[in-house]
Amino acid sequence: MSFIEPDIDFIKHLKKDCGSVLTTCMQCGSCTAVCDLSPENNPFPRKEMIWASWGLKDKLLGDPDIWLCHQCGDCSATCPRDIRPGDVIASLRNYCYQYYAKPHFLGIIMQKPAFLPLIIGFPVVIISLILILAGTFKIPDGPVIYSKFFPHGLLNISFLLLVLASFSGFVIGLKQYWKNLKHSTTVVKPNGTLLPGFFSVLSTILTHKNFRFCTTNRYRYWAHFGVFWGFVMLLAVTFYAILATLFFEYPMAFWNPVKILGNLAGLFLLIGCSIMIWQRIFDSEKRTNSNYSDWFFIISLFLLTASGLIIEIARLQNWSYAYHLYFIHLVLVWMVIMYIPYTKFAHFVYRTIAMTYSKYLGRI
Amino acid sequence: MNKEAKKIGVYVCSGCGIGQNLDIDALQSAASENNDISISRVHSFLCQKKYCEIIHNDIIDKELHSIVIAACSPRVKTKEFSFDPSIVVERVNLREQVIWCNPPNDEDTQMLAEDYLRMGVAKALIIEQPEPFISSTLNSDILVVGGGISGITSAIESAKAGYRVVIVEKEAQAGGWSSRLLKQVPYSDPFGTLQDPIIHEKIKELQSFKNITLLTSSEIKEISGQPGEFSVSILNKNTIMEYMVASIILATGWEPYNATNLKEFGYSMHADVVTNVELEEMAKSGKIVRPSNGQDVQSVLFIQCAGSRDKKHLPYCSAFCCATSLKQAKYIRNFSTETKVFVVYKDIRMPGKLEYFYKEIQKDEQIFLTKGTVSEITEENNQLLVTVKDTLIDEVINIKVDLVVLATGMTPRNSEDLNLTYRQGKGLPGLKYNFPDSHFICFPYETRRTGIYAAGAIRAPGTISACIEDATGAALKAIQCIESTKRGESVHPRSGDISSPELYMQRCTDCKRCTEECPFGAYDETEKGTPLPNPYRCRSCGICMGSCPERIISFKDFSINAVSSMIKAVHIPDEFEEKPRILAFVCENDAYPAFDMAGINHLQYSAYIRIIPVRCIGSVNKVWISDALSQGFDGILQIGCKPGDDYQCHYIHGSELTETRGENIQETLQTMMLEPERIRTEFIEINEFNRIPEMIEDYLETIEEIGPNPFKDM
Repeated sequence: MSFIEPDIDFIKHLKKDCGSVLTTCMQCGSCTAVCDLSPENNPFPRKEMIWASWGLKDKLLGDPDIWLCHQCGDCSATCPRDIRPGDVIASLRNYCYQYYAKPHFLGIIMQKPAFLPLIIGFPVVIISLILILAGTFKIPDGPVIYSKFFPHGLLNISFLLLVLASFSGFVIGLKQYWKNLKHSTTVVKPNGTLLPGFFSVLSTILTHKNFRFCTTNRYRYWAHFGVFWGFVMLLAVTFYAILATLFFEYPMAFWNPVKILGNLAGLFLLIGCSIMIWQRIFDSEKRTNSNYSDWFFIISLFLLTASGLIIEIARLQNWSYAYHLYFIHLVLVWMVIMYIPYTKFAHFVYRTIAMTYSKYLGRI
Repeated sequence: MNKEAKKIGVYVCSGCGIGQNLDIDALQSAASENNDISISRVHSFLCQKKYCEIIHNDIIDKELHSIVIAACSPRVKTKEFSFDPSIVVERVNLREQVIWCNPPNDEDTQMLAEDYLRMGVAKALIIEQPEPFISSTLNSDILVVGGGISGITSAIESAKAGYRVVIVEKEAQAGGWSSRLLKQVPYSDPFGTLQDPIIHEKIKELQSFKNITLLTSSEIKEISGQPGEFSVSILNKNTIMEYMVASIILATGWEPYNATNLKEFGYSMHADVVTNVELEEMAKSGKIVRPSNGQDVQSVLFIQCAGSRDKKHLPYCSAFCCATSLKQAKYIRNFSTETKVFVVYKDIRMPGKLEYFYKEIQKDEQIFLTKGTVSEITEENNQLLVTVKDTLIDEVINIKVDLVVLATGMTPRNSEDLNLTYRQGKGLPGLKYNFPDSHFICFPYETRRTGIYAAGAIRAPGTISACIEDATGAALKAIQCIESTKRGESVHPRSGDISSPELYMQRCTDCKRCTEECPFGAYDETEKGTPLPNPYRCRSCGICMGSCPERIISFKDFSINAVSSMIKAVHIPDEFEEKPRILAFVCENDAYPAFDMAGINHLQYSAYIRIIPVRCIGSVNKVWISDALSQGFDGILQIGCKPGDDYQCHYIHGSELTETRGENIQETLQTMMLEPERIRTEFIEINEFNRIPEMIEDYLETIEEIGPNPFKDM
């Protein structure tokens, strides 16, 4: 016989993290009723709210439903007790990044503002070291040619190694996550198979179909669409650029189609991020509460994009500060990519897995 | 005064479409067909002030005794058509119940209007204006039985209004249950934190009133008499004290439901299963421990609705247990910061602003609430294992706890503590769930004993705040009763009615029907069984009049004779005209207004029906039925208020009596060789007026099937 053991520290942590007195949930189910993404059977977020109130951590950590939520904020706007179920669910996702993080301490320091200097300092030190080792750590004169200051080859290799290290930790965490998913959902016979499920989920993600359900929050569709596709395109362009440093002309000419695509993607990303930031600050209906991890992710992504566009202008205009700006940009690149498994950025992986799993179970 | 000597005036209004829809000249001549009418007038705007003055002058000039106003429903324009109180005013309802529900200028509509006018005139010739009965020994004091929160509040409120109060408490100290509490659930804004019990302030306030006499360690030995002149003897520490009071507030409160019946929750099987009352005692004594071993508790589980809202135990909600359990959860949390508290409920019910308290309690992350059903409690390793199914967590859960608290409900105390000398018993008749309240929406505090009002937990289970509100309401009712009695008026629901039943004792056979059937115990009895009426206990419903086989009970303005003459005033067409006639006795409280509503909504129904309003469907005397059948009516409808607990007859069991009396009536029909279908009883709510056309059509079909009354034209 198993007994209910409420985890009181977990409840306290959640309350603090999302700033909601979530235990005052009276289980009216208004949140579930307004949610357009909730499945018909065992819908969310009502059940997550009582699990959270009772401190049933294990149930929540293996609950795929918290990833089916796209954080439109309809539930929070509707909640008669004003306890913002959407934010509670967001906090639960946050808790997952932390809980499954390998190494664990990285997950913890990512969520604490006090460690911000450390998080920024790490790539600064590594990049500086590489520059010193390569002997290029001196601002060159003449027209701006970034490769004079930045040894692309060395940077690319060390960057890839670090990302590899961080992502292998990610894989270990995700394996545990997968185990928890399977443990907490008891389904006799799955309603689908994994691979077709994955492709169907992929098409949902690429078309941003679920964002369209957030009828009262239209901007989110466009903002996320812009950020998503901007990022994907830039990722492709970056890979091409890495290859270009080795085999082709680099930097690329302004009219190179890949370059045009890169600039366009940058604009997409910039506009998407701007809308998101704007909405988070000026959301009159206060649908979502933004905490440190939200801001950390969105601002670093915004600065990354903005700095990328600025250094391009700096190069063309031969600004004297171009190298400094490039350094900042490089630090941001490392921060965003290397820390993916520990920040909100990891949501795309967790969400894809959870959605695939739910599809496999026939829940969505 | 005899019928022939009566001077009568008839006033027909032709306004509101009455003139366009009816032949007014024919109507006027119908009124004077068999009667000598002193004056007959028609006007198109009868209710205007100027015209009412003309009527008033007629009354003086022609020395009229009675006037008949043939216009709109008696339920409207009552102020306009009120004249000298000594004058009988009979209203004939030509608007709502004739022209608005029948085709215009139709033969049947005209016949209906003429019959109604003839009936009105016939009644006006018989009835007389009643005069109030005012006893010389009336007083104005109030007796409050029970010195708990309700009794004390009632006493204070009555004293504040200037009445002298005697308050009787069984225990040596006043205060009752609420003085035994450690803390009270919040009763004032912001309804967030536990408060000190309000009873202590109330006791102090009570002691500050000079016009309140508090008798502790006292019991009621006997109460006799009637409102305005109850004589009370109180046993106060071996001495008998006599008081005269005008009205009584019963506030003896509640007892906890007997938890030994709750075997399913292991009470009396496991030492660590206690009731909410026992937990309160522990908290008050300063220590909450496990009864089994005296150790501190680490985890507690509350079972809400323990025996409540459960057909096997108490079918109702006691309204206080949810808030009380949350209060006690807070006690436990205040005693120890480590303790976890679980609350398993059917539904959390927080009356009024206590919702804020619930929310406040929920903020504590060590109090866990879920809907659920406790399916099993077992003991293992010195702990209680509680299995809960149907939870919000959507699975069967098992919880290990040190203490289980059963939130048991309230049961009313026995009202026989009143020791009434009434023929119908010592206490108040119990109504729904044995609480002596009459109808919780329409007539709160009214018990079935006029002048005795129930307040607090004996009337209905509830919180202390509800009891305070209740006690205030009951004090108001007690005062109303005192003042009405002084004017010789009956109390609710016929407030202001000065008529009371008059018995022609020479013909009484001591059959005891009236003394048994009176819902309010107004009649006492001699040893022989002769009824002894107590006019101030009477509510003038006329149920005794309906019950009397000798037809010796009547009111001045509502009598056996008056209704019989109305029945006889109807013209019954002969068999070959194929115009059946249905007589409908319609209760004035719900059914008659429903007919008016049908008219207002212009619902059309047959003009073959003739309506006679009655005070209660229970006031219909059997003789009217035989009168109607021998007169040639083809069928009789009795339309009353819905009986039962949820929608009560205004006189509690008038409607039910009609059903039980049906047996006697069937005998009458048999002796007359008539079909039982000739009489039908229907119950209708005021808002069910839409049903009326269908109800009448259906009955007419039945009558057509069985054919015309063979007594026609005999």
